[in-house]
Amino acid sequence: MVSDRDRPGRFNDGRSAASRTVVVRVTAAGLEIFGIDGFKVAVWCTEDLLPDGEMPDGKGVRLRCAAEPDARLTVEDAFFIRRDLPKAVLARPGTRSLNLRLLASMLAGVVILVGLYVSLPVLARWVVPLVSVEMERDWGRQIAAGLEANARICRNPSGLNAVKSLTDRLAAHLPPGRQAVNVHVLDEKMVNALALPGGEIIVFRGLIDAMEGPDELAGVLAHELTHIGERHVTAALIRGVGVGVLATLITGDASGLVASGVTALMAASYTRSDEEAADRGAVLLLRQARIDNAGLATFFLRLERMEKDGFGLPAWMGTHPEAKIRAARIKAEADPVTLAPALREKQWNAVKDICRPLSSAPSIPM
Amino acid sequence: MTHDTNEIAPLAHHGGTGAMIRLAVINLLLSIATLSIWRFWGKTKVRQALWSNTTAWDDPLEYTGTGKELFLGFVIILIGVYVPLVLLFNTANALIAEESPLGGLLMVLLYVVTIFLIAAGSFRARRYQLSRTVWRGIRGGQGGSAWAYAWRSLAVWALVPLTLGWIWPWGDMMLARYRLNHTTFGNTSFTCEAGLTGLYKRFTLLWVGWMGLFAAGGALAFAMAAAVMAAGTGGDWADIYFVVSILMFILVVPVIVISLAWYRAGFYQRLAEGTALGGVRFRLETGAWGLMRLGIGNGFLVALSLGVLRPWAALRMWRFACDAIRLDGVPDFAAIRQAVEEGPTLGEGLSSVLDSAGEY
Repeated sequence: MVSDRDRPGRFNDGRSAASRTVVVRVTAAGLEIFGIDGFKVAVWCTEDLLPDGEMPDGKGVRLRCAAEPDARLTVEDAFFIRRDLPKAVLARPGTRSLNLRLLASMLAGVVILVGLYVSLPVLARWVVPLVSVEMERDWGRQIAAGLEANARICRNPSGLNAVKSLTDRLAAHLPPGRQAVNVHVLDEKMVNALALPGGEIIVFRGLIDAMEGPDELAGVLAHELTHIGERHVTAALIRGVGVGVLATLITGDASGLVASGVTALMAASYTRSDEEAADRGAVLLLRQARIDNAGLATFFLRLERMEKDGFGLPAWMGTHPEAKIRAARIKAEADPVTLAPALREKQWNAVKDICRPLSSAPSIPM
Repeated sequence: MTHDTNEIAPLAHHGGTGAMIRLAVINLLLSIATLSIWRFWGKTKVRQALWSNTTAWDDPLEYTGTGKELFLGFVIILIGVYVPLVLLFNTANALIAEESPLGGLLMVLLYVVTIFLIAAGSFRARRYQLSRTVWRGIRGGQGGSAWAYAWRSLAVWALVPLTLGWIWPWGDMMLARYRLNHTTFGNTSFTCEAGLTGLYKRFTLLWVGWMGLFAAGGALAFAMAAAVMAAGTGGDWADIYFVVSILMFILVVPVIVISLAWYRAGFYQRLAEGTALGGVRFRLETGAWGLMRLGIGNGFLVALSLGVLRPWAALRMWRFACDAIRLDGVPDFAAIRQAVEEGPTLGEGLSSVLDSAGEY
């Protein structure tokens, strides 16, 4: 009975985990599988045959059948199976075409990721209108409270009053609903000011120390007020979240982002177009408030000089590069008439002393 | 110890180290080229290599999972679980910055939820991998509930510090029993009634030894600090302090590693001996020494290659397991039928976002 075309093998029927010793006969139509008792166990048609690789120890070839997906056949005599089976079976569909498709979709994935990253500013601008003003204000107040908790707050009342009146004068020309702005002054030597979402501005003492006149303060406030009025901060924070999500998608590691919290969001920076818009807006606000915009230009140039003199790059400058170009752009908008200083001398002196402790005794400079 | 003379070692691993390292390097290169999107397909290829080179009674295992399943599982969890979680964490941070008592409460709650999700995720990852494991055409599976498992894990982890660690052997074994009792092959469930006989003896020795070490180290540090104070400030003292610390470290680390391996070996031996498939019992032919070599070797492999050679470490683990596992007979495989259940349709998203459980 055993012919030249019979090969020994092992068969699993896919219904139980039993392994059955079988004889595999290659016929014109495909394979016939017999038990050792001579009963026919299965017939696999050539067109249903699927190669299933070789045994890891090299002792045989494995075959499957599309019609019985759970069944498995191991033929121990690899050489004869290769000779006897139609070539078409052993070279069956393609790992190659699959890999090409996979590679193409992976490439598409990379393009989508890069595209998302590039279009984040635009996407963020779309999302901003969905954030309610109230939510934005809460958010800003929370961040301000966080910053204040970690620094000494400057409380000199006459200085704060002067800053407040100047801020209100400028903010009066912002869109309605965005005019209520709080300025917080913190006793830190950092030369920096930040706009927070909603209506909070943080000014560090170092920035005021670097100023030589009230028009400079007015210029910086007008610049930050424009960031608030045009909701640049919220857009920047949304971009920050977007970058975080993309980073997680790429690295697959969520832990760092969870921990980073508010501080990571604070690092979100403005785009160049935000900065240009803030400069234009500052010039406009200053003109409407009848304050000389030369102060802002002068301040840009002074900070750049400070950097050259080895003070290191002032933080406010770090986020506002290209001082010369921007100063020139502001100067081009200069008012022809001479305007009164933004604050009276007594008010300005109070601003310079804004962080001095309330007790009248002069403190020892640090 | 005497063992059944019928005892057999049916598992064997045929995979080569060179091929696995090559695969690891190719995966690294493709991951860089695709901004890491390849990692899901790379992981799948590594698993295919691990599974298909393992034979039991001369028939190989098959891994039928796909990269696409892993990728989609990851994306769904990223959007549905991870992004909301980050937003909540940020809200909690903001509330804490505002000094609102709600902030702390929310933060604690979020940590508990995250740990809970990590536990549930590891269970679901196991369910996915087992459902994609096929032998002789029959699928494996993981029954039970991921939430029930996560609650149990959370309870054990919360009790560990409260009981100074004494809950750990019991809790660890209870969780392992839950996993194994719900592990299926076809329509047949593994059974696991592994007990703690003698394990607490090992644990007591371990615990007392470690406490002794910490006490001795603390006393030495205190004595040296006192000596430095008495002698006044001097650069020499700092150097001596440094050298003694290093020496202590060199002495203490091997003691900790060896004792831990000895305890773990005891744990795994008891676990295997309590486990059976179709009434046939398992046994683990390993001691502390083999387990320690495996653990230290894999630790160095993964750390020194920054995780790139993790597949090699996984290969070493599989070889170790194939060598060590014994059965006291052949289960009646004809009685084990295909299960109707086909397993989850998507990959192990939860654990691939929140943890790297099942990472190879």
